[in-house]
Parts: sequence; C-alpha cells; structure tokens
Amino acid sequence: MKPLNYAILKYFTTVKEACAEDVIEALKDEYGNFKALKKDAVVAALMTAEANGLLEETRFEMDQTGQLRIYYHAHEEGAATINKYIKD
Amino acid sequence: MNDGMGATDPSAVAAKKKLSEQFFKKGVRIALFSGVTYGLYSAFLTFGMTKGVWSDWYGPNTAGLSTFAIAYLLGALGGAVNDICSAIWAMINAAIKGKFGDFIRCLNTAPGRMMILAALAGGPVASTAYVVGLQMAGSIVTPITALCPAIGAILGRILFKQKISKRVTIGIIICVIASFLIGSTSIGNDAPDGMFLGLCIAFFAALGWGFEGCIAGYGTSMIDSEIGITIRQATSGLANLFILVPIFGKMSGSVKLSFALAGQAFTSGPAMIWFALSGLCAFVSFMTWYKGNSMCGAALGMACNATYSFWGPFFCWIILGIFGGIDGWSLPPIAWISAILMMLGILVIAMNPMDLFRKKEVN
Repeated sequence: MKPLNYAILKYFTTVKEACAEDVIEALKDEYGNFKALKKDAVVAALMTAEANGLLEETRFEMDQTGQLRIYYHAHEEGAATINKYIKD
Repeated sequence: MNDGMGATDPSAVAAKKKLSEQFFKKGVRIALFSGVTYGLYSAFLTFGMTKGVWSDWYGPNTAGLSTFAIAYLLGALGGAVNDICSAIWAMINAAIKGKFGDFIRCLNTAPGRMMILAALAGGPVASTAYVVGLQMAGSIVTPITALCPAIGAILGRILFKQKISKRVTIGIIICVIASFLIGSTSIGNDAPDGMFLGLCIAFFAALGWGFEGCIAGYGTSMIDSEIGITIRQATSGLANLFILVPIFGKMSGSVKLSFALAGQAFTSGPAMIWFALSGLCAFVSFMTWYKGNSMCGAALGMACNATYSFWGPFFCWIILGIFGGIDGWSLPPIAWISAILMMLGILVIAMNPMDLFRKKEVN
C-alpha cells in the first residue's frame, strides 16, 4: 500500500484527466478510512502538485450542485517525475 | 457525469479565481506564520538553555566542562533535545490526523529519502551551527541565517532548474539587506568574545537550511507536509543525539560524557518545560515552512519564513528580556525599520508592485 499522496499522484498517470471528486471515488476502496481523503484535503494536494509542476489544469466547471470542479492531468514531464520518484 | 455548464460560465470563472487566490494567500499566511513560530522557537530554546541543569553548565559550571564542551557539545545537545521534543509533537500530530501509517510507508521511498537528506543538512549540520552561533554571538546570528532564502533560490536554480525572475531576485536582495541591517547594529557594541566565529558558524546554518528548503520543498510536492515534517524532526533529532552529540563528546574527552549530559538534560524538569515548548514551535514552524514553500513556491515561501530574522530577536526580547528579566535582549530601532524593509522585499517577491496601479484593468 502506497502513502495516500503518492496514490493520488500515481492515479493521474493512469487517467486522461480527473478532478478531486474522481480521485476520491477512485481511491475510496483502498483509502476510504483515511481522514485525508476528503475533498478539501484532496483539492489542496492537487493545487500543491500543480504549483510544483507535477500536474496541469485542463479545465474547470460548475457541477449540478453548484460546486466548482477543476480537472487536472499529469503532462509528460509531470508524469515522468511522478514515475521517477514514486515506484509501483 | 460532469455535465456542468462549462468553463465560460462566469460563476465557474469567479469560483476558480477565488479558490486560486485563497490558495495563494493561504500559502503566504502559512509561510509568514512559520517565521513567527520560528522566532518563538528560538526564544524558548534560548530560555530553556538558561534553566535547570543548563544554568549550571553555562554558569558556575560545577560539572567542570571544558570551553569546547560548553560551546559545541552543549550547542549540539540543545539542538538534539529540541528536535527530539519536536519529533514527538510531530508524531502525535501525525497520529491524530491518521497519517502515522503513511509516515512509516514514506520513509523508504525516493521522496522520503530526499527528506531524510534534507533533514540531515538542516538538522545536525544547520541546527547545531545555529545553536552554537547563538551561544557564541547572541541573537544577531539570527539575521545571518536569514541568508538561506537566497541560498535556497540559487540551489533551486542549479539543482531543479527553477526559474528566478529579476523581480524575485530584487526582492530576495532587499530581504537579505534587511536581515543584515538587523544584525549590523549589534556588531561592535556589546559583542561577546568569539562573536565573529559565531557569525561564520551561523553562515553554515544558512547554507544547510538553504539546501534543506530547496530539497525538502521539492520533496513535499509529493509527500504530505505533515508527514514530511515528522520525517524531518525524527531524522534530525536522532542524528543529533546519536551521531553529532557523541562526536562532540569524543572531541571533548569522552563519548560517555555526552550521554551523561544528555541524560541530565532530558531529566532536567525546569528546562524541559521550555524545550517542550520550543519543540512544539519548531514543529509548527518547520511544518508551515515546508507547506508554505510547496504552496506558493520556494522563493516566496522562504522569504516569508525569513521574517524570523525579525521575530527571533523580537521574541528573545519579549521572553528573555521582559519575561525572563535577563539583560542585553532589547531590540534596537533599526530592527523595526529592517522588519518593514523586509516586508517590502517579500511584497516585491510576491507580486509585481506595478499591479497595484493597474489592478482594475485585469477585470
């Protein structure tokens, strides 16, 4: 089992794009009992990864409940860095 | 599943802008807070090292410690006790937040090893240099160590090819000048013996922390900052206690001496209360430093943290001077002026001052 933050970053190397809700949905089976798998914490983790050039924003929208959803993807360089430092 | 209204939706644009601004401002606030808690950590640590068994070691010295042992061994021991206390706080925090398992899992990974390396540079090397410098030259070493943002930015450029704009460079230079100004007034006034050497030793602390900020800032882009700080403090505390303190013990005559002193230090109740507090402040300070760096970029994060060169002498004045009634800790007027100058430097790093005049056009 990987640390949660690693699993979040690794997830982006397997999908075209994803938002915080997608991350929570994808990881809830394995990390559902983690206190840090909450929307605010995941949003902060994604924004931190973006600030450090690991992820890149692709688009954003309001969902049906009026919540902002920001989508990110791991661009080539970001994915290479993630895979270099975080092994399976 | 996401059949929203699209990115051109003005409410989405406004919400996105608000979130980005909040994130950036939060990063700056966190990084500034790390400077304040760093000042508190310095003050509590210095105060703790005047209490209990430390008051004898630095005072009447009935234990008969050599000058070398007093300057270096005790400096390293002070750093070790502080970092061990700090590591305990960090582990308690990780356990409460449900992150202790991840702390263990992160240790033997590449980012985890980067954090350990950063901790060794910033812990045994820099913390000891800082404590020794503080003991030899007084609180004026604090501004010298504030060179670390400049060193961190330069190392970041060399190691990770991070870009530094002209504006950021100017801001860093302003901050460094402000730091030096705080220190400059003390030079030549009531300079203790060995002050110049103390300043040189303090420079090594700046070098170590610059390296640490650069490496650990990068590491915490992958590791949760609360886990990162637990790795940092645990590594640093253990390395200080089991490597550095025995080395200085050996240089002072015997390794046994170092363990005997460590035992006395950890069981000295009147001092440990203050070490527990300094450890708590160090934990919060380093955690917010890492977090701030990863949220708003190393250059800005480290500049905000560098306000500790003001907060260090400031809280030493409040805690040791006013609360403790110890002479020689008052703050010269230039320190206040420099603090304002430093804020200006941070502002220059954080934003283009020209934006203040044309912000309406952006909307």
